[in-house]
Amino acid sequence: MRFFQTLLRIDRRIIYLVVAGLVMLPLVRPLGLGVTSGPRAQVLFDVIDSLPSGKTVLISVDFDPASMPELYPMMAAVMRHAFARDLKVLICGLWVTGPGLADRALSEIPPEYGKEYGKDVVYLGWKAGVDAVILGMGENIKSVFPVDYQGHPLESLPMMNEVAKLRDIPIAVIFSAGDPGYRDWIRYGQTRYGLRVSAGITAVSAADAYPYLQTGQLTGLLAGMKGGAEYEILVQKSGYSNAYMPAVAAMDSQSLAHVVIMLLVIVGNVAYFATRKRGA
Amino acid sequence: MHVSTDILTWLAVVLTLGIFSFLWKDNPFYKFCEHLFVGVAAGYTICVTWHNSVYPDLITPLFGQGQLLFSIPLLLGLCYFARFIPRVSWLIRFPMAFVLGWASGVAIPAALQADVLRQVQGTFLTPSIFARWDVFLWALISFVGVVSSILYFFFSREHKGALKLASETGIIFLMVGFGASFGYTVMARMSLLIGRFQFLLRDWLGVIR
Amino acid sequence: MKRNIPLVVCLVMGVSMMVQFFVPHPVSVAYYELTTRWFRIVAAFALVLGTGSLIMYHSDKIQRKRQGWFYSVVTILAFVATAVIGLGWGIKRGTILQDVIFSNILVPLNASMFAILAFYMASAAYRAFRARTKEASLLLIAAFVVMLGMVPLGANLPFRLPALVLLTVGVAVGIYLAVRNQNWRGVLVLGLLWVLLGLAVRFLFAPRFGAVAEQVLSYPNMAAKRAIVLGVALGAVATSLKVILGIERGWLGGGKS
Repeated sequence: MRFFQTLLRIDRRIIYLVVAGLVMLPLVRPLGLGVTSGPRAQVLFDVIDSLPSGKTVLISVDFDPASMPELYPMMAAVMRHAFARDLKVLICGLWVTGPGLADRALSEIPPEYGKEYGKDVVYLGWKAGVDAVILGMGENIKSVFPVDYQGHPLESLPMMNEVAKLRDIPIAVIFSAGDPGYRDWIRYGQTRYGLRVSAGITAVSAADAYPYLQTGQLTGLLAGMKGGAEYEILVQKSGYSNAYMPAVAAMDSQSLAHVVIMLLVIVGNVAYFATRKRGA
Repeated sequence: MHVSTDILTWLAVVLTLGIFSFLWKDNPFYKFCEHLFVGVAAGYTICVTWHNSVYPDLITPLFGQGQLLFSIPLLLGLCYFARFIPRVSWLIRFPMAFVLGWASGVAIPAALQADVLRQVQGTFLTPSIFARWDVFLWALISFVGVVSSILYFFFSREHKGALKLASETGIIFLMVGFGASFGYTVMARMSLLIGRFQFLLRDWLGVIR
Repeated sequence: MKRNIPLVVCLVMGVSMMVQFFVPHPVSVAYYELTTRWFRIVAAFALVLGTGSLIMYHSDKIQRKRQGWFYSVVTILAFVATAVIGLGWGIKRGTILQDVIFSNILVPLNASMFAILAFYMASAAYRAFRARTKEASLLLIAAFVVMLGMVPLGANLPFRLPALVLLTVGVAVGIYLAVRNQNWRGVLVLGLLWVLLGLAVRFLFAPRFGAVAEQVLSYPNMAAKRAIVLGVALGAVATSLKVILGIERGWLGGGKS
């Protein structure tokens, strides 16, 4: 009884230390659990893999640095896949903190495949207005983004000669950490302009995406860091990239972290019911 | 172990540890980092808004190309700042009327089509579900789940009899849904922590290659 | 006047955008493109207004020397420095704003703020998550299934045998308590539940945790979330209509004028 009471009164900072230690350990000494891809990541992979060379994939950077560990690796993996398949990548964003992250990706990934800005990849930047941005792009992308993020007029970019509006884009992959995000692209881009939408989302909102998956409004889904790891593995196994895979590297820690949380819940409940029963 | 010698990496590390210091207890260093974040985020928002939105969408067409029609959204936008002048603060109603009216009007058909009609369509039991017995069972479970969960939120009548049974069934599905969300939330929060640790161990200490 | 004209503007904009959705005539499309463009501009000013309100709050705190006013000085200085650097030298790669402020100040601060939530969640899991009711227990079971099934460690673990064992133990305990209280209806219900759930575990659910988690997410979770999506969407439509028709007037603010 006293043991359980002591358990319930453990200082929270000890719990923090235990969590920190058990999360850091597999990063330094990997457990080698391995990662296999799931069905939803496979669907998106197959769609992008089957696109004819030269087609444009739209990527929307709808997240902030807080969600970087989950969404940046999957965005990088999708970009690498697109470039390896000789697809063009058009990037835009609905979150004001997205531009810095997109800029970082642009500095790292296109050079790996010898891709040229303006010909193979264009970054439009961010615009205020969410629905108005999507709806405007549905009619005419250049009316929404007269210049790209770097200030070049879109007419001067060769890639933009083939992409005038959303209907010219076979698939949009929305990396979103909440609202605005993939739901807005479905409501406005898909409903009105038939845009095919896929999403890479934080795990927090992953469970909410299943109604859209079931109706086919979402084509494939990358959920959280696991989703990113799945896509990284698919890209690597297909020979499209040998780059470092941060999401895959984190999966051992993720596994251990989940076990820790489950144990904390179980121990907490056992101690609670043990003390409550005796107390009553 | 190869500790980074880049001063900017050290700056990032110091700020990271400053935020983490709150786990021990609230302290001036944490408060400094917190307020620094608020200020920098607000400043960054202004910069991106100006360079990406205001300058190319308003300043260039209105003052650069002489398209005077853009003076209307400029005036509407400026009316927002009437909020800070008590005598004319009622002017803020005009841009709000425009924004709310536009957004509401655009949202209604979009929400009805994407979030109501398509979702109802997805719930229907179609002949294809009879292809296999497990597909049929799961489709039936999903149908019962959607209907009973909706009925749980129907508070216009007292939950008695059949409505009570439906409502209690709905609670089961809702609890499973919230449990799934919680499970995923654990994954999300842990992922963010792992990301920070990857930065500290790889970019700063060089322990991970 | 000061209230009626904005209400009329709201009504006209709302109705015209709703009708425009169904009218592909070139005039309608031109009107739509024009108002969409204006909306983007006005929305940008709203963002600036939000920032302005923040600065006003902190300035007021400094002026009145309220508790913690020194930190408001930090906020204002950080804001001014970032804004001046960004507005003066640009925001692209290679600028101070991108390479120093965004990458090494904003990113670590923003990311760390959310990273520490993991610790709070661990503490809450230990101290607060209690399976006090049947509903809470069901929530935790679903959470455990998803937590195990969504990571490599648990995805390949066998599901059927542990689930059947746990189900049998749980039902046995329930039947014992029901018999002790002479609740024969409860005994019957538990027995029936054991048979149905046992059959479901054996024949309906997949053999491994990973696939079971996928099933839980794709069917019962999907059903619950769909109900919420429908409810929220209908609520949003109703609220939008109320705003357009002037029934909902809270956005006008207080006062006769």
